[in-house]
Amino acid sequence: MNPVLADIYSTVIPSMPFIIAAYALMWAVLLIYVFVSISGLKKTEKQIAVLEEAVAELKAE
Amino acid sequence: MTNKPVKLPEAGQWPDKVAPWALLAGIVLSTLGFLMAFLYAGPVNGAAVDGVELIGGQMVANKLLLSQKIFYFHMPVALVSFCALAFACYYSVRFLATKNQRFDTCAKVCMEISLVFVICTMITGDLWERFEWGVWWTWEPRLTTYLILMLIVIAYFVLRNAIDEPERCGVYAAVIAIIAMVDVPICFMITRLIPSSVHPVVLREGGMSGDMGMTVAVCLAGLLLVGFALYRFRFRQVRLQERLQALKDEVEVLEERR
Repeated sequence: MNPVLADIYSTVIPSMPFIIAAYALMWAVLLIYVFVSISGLKKTEKQIAVLEEAVAELKAE
Repeated sequence: MTNKPVKLPEAGQWPDKVAPWALLAGIVLSTLGFLMAFLYAGPVNGAAVDGVELIGGQMVANKLLLSQKIFYFHMPVALVSFCALAFACYYSVRFLATKNQRFDTCAKVCMEISLVFVICTMITGDLWERFEWGVWWTWEPRLTTYLILMLIVIAYFVLRNAIDEPERCGVYAAVIAIIAMVDVPICFMITRLIPSSVHPVVLREGGMSGDMGMTVAVCLAGLLLVGFALYRFRFRQVRLQERLQALKDEVEVLEERR
């Protein structure tokens, strides 16, 4: 390879692991938070549905 | 015993209907921003090399810095963390003024979102710093003030878990959220106040070119939408948990009456 071109691109390959890690970790943090929030939301909604039914039954008695 | 109905915390206002669409739009925009960062925004020049080469119709006489691509998400996540902190401060002030528990919940969720984006900022910044400066950490003014900000946000949650009484917990937490907000302008301005700082200041150094500015704007818009959607999902969950607790109390009361 042309030595000038090699010098121009010299930092590209060594920086790749850092760029990939930065984007991967950032998206992992956001995805984990989305997953935890949505799964918690669904669980709470199910519990509420059961309890609201119980409250309605108790009120009807 | 009175027959007064239990007031349940409400959940499911109109922003909850918008939130999934905001998340979708945020994902689309941030993906577009990611592609623009690598395919549209031009590379940034580093140190000069001995010679000149024609690359893509342009004469290049410097090293091309690919690590700068981290910037397109690093700055937007930092700005979203500041934005979440500003809202946390606003809701904390509202809570202190009204003692309405709803504002305390809003502030708590904003602080959570802020912590998520602060962690993202730290991760992206640290990896960029490791490659460019060759160290994992340096006591540079911007980094130090941002670390203090992160510690204040963590302290907020430590404090919340340490106090059982809801109103006292809310008041102390609100004060911490306001203190965190005080650190935001300091953190933002520190590189301008201390010019010896090695942290890059985009606006001081001649601003961004059109392609860079457009890419940052798309990433910022996408991440703001993601931040908003996350806030609404989490807020809905916390309010539903409060509603669940109120319903449990109501069941207990009704069973006692039987």
